[in-house]
Order: sequence, then structure tokens, then C-alpha cells
Amino acid sequence: MPASSASPTSARPARAWRAAVARVLLAAAAVIPAVLHAADSAVVRTDQARAELVVHAPQGVAAGSPLWLGLKIEHRPEWHTYWKNPGDSGLPTTLAFELPPGFVAGEIAWPTPRPLPVGPLVNFGYEGTLLLPVAVTVPAGFDGDALDVKLRADWLICKDVCIPEGGDFALRIPARAATTAHAALFDGARAAVPRRLDEVRGQATLAGGALQVSISGLPASWRGRPLQFLPELAGVIDNAAKPAARWQDATWSAAVPLSPQRSESPQSLQVVVVTAGEAAGIQVPLTIAGNWPSPGAGTTAAAPVEAARGPTGSSGDLGLAAAMALAFAGGLLLNLMPCVFPVLSLKVLGFAAHAQQRRTLLLGGLAYTAGVVVSFVALAAVLIALRAGGEQLGWGFQLQSPAFVAGLAALFTLIGLNLAGVFEVGSVLPGNLAALRARHPMVDSALTGVLAVAVASPCTAPFMGASLGLAATLPPVQALAVFVALGLGMAAPYLVASAWPAVARLLPRPGPWMAHFKVLMAFPMFATVVWLVWVLGQQVGIDGVAALLGSLLALALAAWALGSPSLGRGARWVLSSTALACLAATLAWALPSFVDPAARAGGAAARDTGARAGEPWEAWSASRVEQALGEGRAVFVDFTAAWCVTCQFNKRTVLADPAVLAEFQSRRVLLLRADWTRRDPAITAELARLQRNGVPVYALYAPGAVAPRLLGEILSAREVRDALGAL
Amino acid sequence: MTPASFRFSFIARSLAAAALLAVGTGAAQAAAAIGQPAPAFTGVDTAGQRVSLADHRGKTVVLEWINPGCPYVRKHYGAANMQATQKAAVDKGVVWLSINSTATDATDYLPPERMAAWMKEQKAAATATVMDVDGRIGRAYGARTTPHLYVIDSKGTLVYAGAIDNRPTARAADIAGATNHVQAALAEVLAGRSVSVPATQPYGCTIKYSAM
Repeated sequence: MPASSASPTSARPARAWRAAVARVLLAAAAVIPAVLHAADSAVVRTDQARAELVVHAPQGVAAGSPLWLGLKIEHRPEWHTYWKNPGDSGLPTTLAFELPPGFVAGEIAWPTPRPLPVGPLVNFGYEGTLLLPVAVTVPAGFDGDALDVKLRADWLICKDVCIPEGGDFALRIPARAATTAHAALFDGARAAVPRRLDEVRGQATLAGGALQVSISGLPASWRGRPLQFLPELAGVIDNAAKPAARWQDATWSAAVPLSPQRSESPQSLQVVVVTAGEAAGIQVPLTIAGNWPSPGAGTTAAAPVEAARGPTGSSGDLGLAAAMALAFAGGLLLNLMPCVFPVLSLKVLGFAAHAQQRRTLLLGGLAYTAGVVVSFVALAAVLIALRAGGEQLGWGFQLQSPAFVAGLAALFTLIGLNLAGVFEVGSVLPGNLAALRARHPMVDSALTGVLAVAVASPCTAPFMGASLGLAATLPPVQALAVFVALGLGMAAPYLVASAWPAVARLLPRPGPWMAHFKVLMAFPMFATVVWLVWVLGQQVGIDGVAALLGSLLALALAAWALGSPSLGRGARWVLSSTALACLAATLAWALPSFVDPAARAGGAAARDTGARAGEPWEAWSASRVEQALGEGRAVFVDFTAAWCVTCQFNKRTVLADPAVLAEFQSRRVLLLRADWTRRDPAITAELARLQRNGVPVYALYAPGAVAPRLLGEILSAREVRDALGAL
Repeated sequence: MTPASFRFSFIARSLAAAALLAVGTGAAQAAAAIGQPAPAFTGVDTAGQRVSLADHRGKTVVLEWINPGCPYVRKHYGAANMQATQKAAVDKGVVWLSINSTATDATDYLPPERMAAWMKEQKAAATATVMDVDGRIGRAYGARTTPHLYVIDSKGTLVYAGAIDNRPTARAADIAGATNHVQAALAEVLAGRSVSVPATQPYGCTIKYSAM
């Protein structure tokens, strides 16, 4: 068929003409024999289809006898009309019967449709020959010779173009004789109408931006086969998405993603499920538990981005329970992060020392847990308060402050010196505080917990990003709950080890090795100091590094002078005075270097953009992204910070991999680096847009794509290449 | 590499497999969502000028998917309903972008000059008519039909997506008495209120996207 004949421009006058013919025929009905009349006006032909009003009255027209009317549509090849839920586009066919008083036409008994993909869209409808049957109730006492039926039918028929068509039909049905000419057609349609089975049970829960559907009682022969899920209501699910589905014994369950532009929020939903090779699907009424996410509410806020990273690939927000579980897992992983491991090694020392004292151990574990949880809650409270205050801050902001970094470096230096035996804690702390520490190991444990959190928080482990992003959008109480879960996860391994001495007993027995081990542990502390010095260098430049190293040296001297057990009283007095004077002088010189990073932004040119000669990375800006996308180029953004070890690991492995870089180059992908080492409101805002609160974040923006694709926090070359391959 | 990162690299390698499994690498492309930032886009109008959503930051923007070959589009243009909706919006400072995402190989594709001529002939009041022949913008918004309308508020948030009105037919006679969802949404947005009907089922002709 020539395409032009299918154009809508010709359809309209043609239909008007046909309608006119139909009316003429109707007018002529009075003089033309009934049979002829029925044959002619019951058919409407268009360029795309032939439609006919048909009847099935095996016992004539009488009260209590079955009477079926139907619209038969024979589509030209490749053309289709639509089901009651037409899917992404299209419209359901409508039938309006005009019947004598007392006759009642029921609903259309829609045959099971099939999905019709059109580019990125999916519709539900019919091709070939279709019958839409309608049961008619005959009133008691009907005793006419014939039944006159009129029908106005409208349908939208589409191939690549769509044409709204319709027609007026008329039919006279003899009442006292059987009409069975279309029996096979009606039988076929009935066989394709979705069945209702008593044993089939379905339920659905709203969670994670999807309908979590579970259906049991389906025929045994369907088990293990893929099912098509067809809701009878339009505007609820994402029709083009492939639900993550599985069979477990006799139960089929699936996460059916909701449409991001959902227009319906029903309390129950009738759906049809069907498997390949079956003419009829099975109709399942689903009751829906849970609340529909309201558009734009915090709970749906995560949807577009989470879609690209959810464990099942399904779109959706994180429910509170899921967020807490993720936070717990993230907390567990935090234990393995290098910036927390040294602190935990302190704890291991503590275990070894108390392995015989079960109660002390357990109390210590609980105190540690309390310290961790309280610290997380305190940090969250600060974050929430600052957020409320409108500050453009994100997670990890502590290490964006040079003063905080310097303070942390000093703390780790002191811990390292202490472990190395340069000074002893008891003699450097004020008397009563030192006693407190000695007498109350629980306070010591709690402080260790606090320290662990202070150091670990910026290392956003895998899983943690989503929880944090969600927490930032949650009401404060729920956000705090997420942070409690994070803290519990982090403390869990140590709590377990302290609660079950069997676990603790696996540790080596105390002995002379402990002294060696203690000194050994000083080195990871100093390694951490090296890292912190480097971070500070990124923030304030070489002068700041010199100031910090000078301060640390003076601090070390003071610690030794005040706390070395081998010094005599007189020597200590002299040395301590000198050392403290040195420390005071050094700090007076050094402190300004740590206080005002913004003033030094000009001097600290060596940011983490990597924008040096020969490097393919440019500094990030939102307009640069937009510009490149406008040119049709994809953009890869590395959201990073000098203090983020995961970021640095990825930067020096996968993102420095020549094969990966070549792949970027061959696809003309613009490489941008967004450096969050210091506060940057633009980057904070972009991270918030991606539902993130920390780094690393790796985002691949494709031209025309809705949301950037986010890659894992621990990159692999393969993952990057897969993402590029999907461009 | 700092010692800390050395330490980390071995931990990371041992963790990487598990972490990647859990984090997943799914690439589901979700369409624009109500209440979320409207996807940024840059396109070319019928005159070859660059049109970018970012250029209209701070203004309320309406996106109208259009294809003059579609009877449902003709329904609303033939009865001057779409033009009236456009004019009322533009008069209030709203930016109206009509977007044609029809692929060049579709039977009812109109090249830019003919598209421009059609809009002129219809006395359309759109700010610009964007030729989205590769369907990038349409796919980003999940546009399904012509017409399909979207309202973006001055903060760049998508606040309405769906049909122009509540009468999903091709008959111009059905326009009188129909509820114009776009006008209603604009009235609420411009009054600083939230949109009471943020999503409806769009109706019309399936958009014929180019194969990607």
C-alpha cells in the first residue's frame, strides 16, 4: 500500500463520505429488504481496515438466551488498534451501542492483547483479525420479530502514522431464528479473553519506585516461563521497562517499575499475565499495599538516578528499611577503609589485653558502639542543621577544612608517637583525665569509636552514597535513623567480637609481641599523617605543608618533653618550657595558613583537576558539560577530592589506564574532573542533583539522555568500557 | 601513590568484585520524572538557531510535542485551541517550545522550512519550533504522543506531563467543554501554587522516533 494513501489528510474526507453513505443506506432501509440492509450498513471500510458489526445469537433473541454483539476489525498488514490500556500511546477502541429500551450492552470482553514496541515506546493492542465481543442482556418479555442495533465505534489505527477512524453501524437481527454465521469468530475471541482462576492470588507492594508483584496459583505449565505483565489501567507502570522477575516454586514475583510520569494511583489494579504461546492470559486482581510516591516528594526524588544503579537495575527510591540496610552494610565496609583501619587496630590491641575479662570486653564493645553511633548522629545532626541553614555543604565537609585536616594530622602524629613509645599518655594528660581513662576503659572505648567515625566519614564506601543521598532528602528523624544504622554497621564487627569471646579468643595471646605490635602500629598512623599532609598541600599549597610539618615537629618535641618516661624532673621542666614556647611560636606562625582557604585559592593552583600538560582532563563546570552535550559529545565527569582515597585509587588505576583513555578518545568523550577537595558550591549542587553527598561519583552524560549514568564507586576498566559501549 | 592508597588498593581489589555485584551496572534510562529537574537539552529550531532549555532558566517553559501530520494535532490546531493556549501562555511571559521528534524517514516528516511554514500558516504563537529529528529530546522526556505537553517551572522542575485536555478524541467538537490541563497547570504555576493535576495520560499519534 502506498504510504500516501494512508496519510491522515485523506482519511478525514473519506470517513465523512463513508458516514454519508451509511446514512443514505439507513434512510433507504425502509424500502430495502432487511437482509440486504444488514449486510451493507454493518460494514465500514477504510484504507487501513475493514470493520463489521457482527452478532452471535445461537438461540435467537430471547430473554435468558445468550446474545453477543461484536465489532470485527480486519487490520491491513502492519496496522494495529489498541487494548483497553493502549500502553504508551494509542487509544482504546470505543463502542457505543444504541439498543431498544430494556436491552443492556455490557463491557467489551477484550481479548488478550500483545505488546507492540514502537521505537522506545511499547503499546498494547491487536493486529490481524480482531473481534471485540459485547454481551447483551435481553429484557424479559421481549417478543419482537427482530432486534435493531446501532453502533457508533471509534478506533485509532496506527502503523508509523496514526489515523483516528470510526463508523456508524446498523444491524437488524432476526429474533426467532438462530444467527450463528460468526460462531467460530466469537468462539475464538472467547478463547482469547483472559481467564479468571479462583486459585490465582496476587498482591502488590509499593517499594523502591516499583510495584513488587507476587502472583501464585498460576498453571503449573507456566512455571519457569517468562510472563508478560499487562495492567488493565494505563498510566501506572513504565511500559517499556523490563521488570526484574523470577519464579520461586509456584510463585511468580516481579518488580515492575512505575512510570516516572504516572497519572494513576489506584488502590487495586487488575492485571493480565500471559506467557508466549497462550491465546488467553490470566486476569489477576492485585490489591496494592503501601503508599504511592507523590510526584516530586522526597521519596521519589531518588528515582531517576537510582534507576541507573539500583541492585536490580530497577528504577526507584530507597525505602527507609532498604536505606537503613544499605547504611548498615556501608558501615560494615567502613571498617575496611584505610582511614579507619589504623584506629581499629588500636581496638585490636585492646581486645588482646582484655581477652580474659569477658564483661570488660563486652562493655568495651558496647561503649565503642555507643561512641560510633553517637558520633554519626552528631554528624548527621550537624549536617541537617547546616542543611536547614542553607549552607552548601556535603558529606565529607570536615576534610574540606584545612584546619580540620591539620588538627587530624596532629592527632595522628600524637597517636603515632605514643604507640612508638616517645611519650606515655598517662603523663601528658591532666591527672584526673588520665585517671578517668585508666579507670574507665569504657570511656576509652567510646572515644575510640568517636575517633573512628571522625576519620571514616569522608570515605564513602560503596552502598553509602545512596543512603547518604537519601538521608539528605529525608525528614530529620528518618535521616538520623539511617545514620544510626550506619553507625551500628560500623561497630558491629567489634561488638560481635567483644560479645563472643570465642571470636575474641581467636586473637593471639598477650605477650612481648604486643609491644612490638604497638610500635608497628605507629607506622600506619604516620602513613595517615603523610596522606593528611598531602591533602592539606592540595588545599593550601606548599607553604601550608611547611607550616603543618613545622607544627607537627614542635608538637612532637612538646609531647616528648612532657611525656617521656625517661626524663628526670629538672630536665623535663627545662625542656617542657622550651618545647611549649617553640610550639606556641610555631602555631602562631602556622595557624593562619589553615584558617582561610578561600583567600589562598589563587595561590593553590595545583588542584586535583589534573589539568596539566599532556593530561586529557579539563576542569569541570556545568556549562562545559552542557556545551559538549550540545555538540553531541558525551561527557565523563570524575567527582573527586584529594582527601578521598577511593577517588585517588580509581584516578591512578582505571582512569589512568591507557586502554580506557584511548576508548574515551575514540568516542570523543570529554573528560572533566570536578575537584571537591575544598568547598565548591557548584559541585555540591551538582552532587545533590545526582542524589549524592560525597565523592567519588563517576557520571557519564550521554547527549540526549535524561540522567547521567553513574558508575560504581570502585571503578573497573570493564565497567567504564561497558558504559561507553552503551552510548 | 601514598601508603594509604597502597593499602587501599589491595583491600579495594578484594572488595571490588562483591561491591560491583551489589552496586550493579544497570543502565535503565528513566524518562523525565514529575517533580524532578527537567532534563537539559539543546536543539535546533526550524531556522537553524540553537535552542537550549538552559537559555530560559528562570522562566516557566512549556514543551509541546507536535507533528502536523497527526490528526490529533490537527484537531487542536484546526480549532485554534493550541494557538490560543500558546498565546495566553506567551502573553504571561511563558516560553513555549514546540518540538517535532518525527524521524526523517517517517512518512509524515516535514523538513524545517515546511514545518516553519505550517506553523506560520496556523498562526502558532510558539516561542520556537525545535526539530528533534534524532529524537534525543523526545526520548529524554519520554514523549510518547503528539500532542504531548510538559510544563517546567521557573526553577527548572518538571511540574506537568500529559495531555492537553481531558477529551482523548480526534473530534474538534470535543474541545468545547474540555478541561485544558496545560492552562490549569500554568495558572497554578504562575500563581506560585503546586500543580494539582501533575500527570495525565497523553493521547494522540505515536511519535515515530528515529532508530537509534
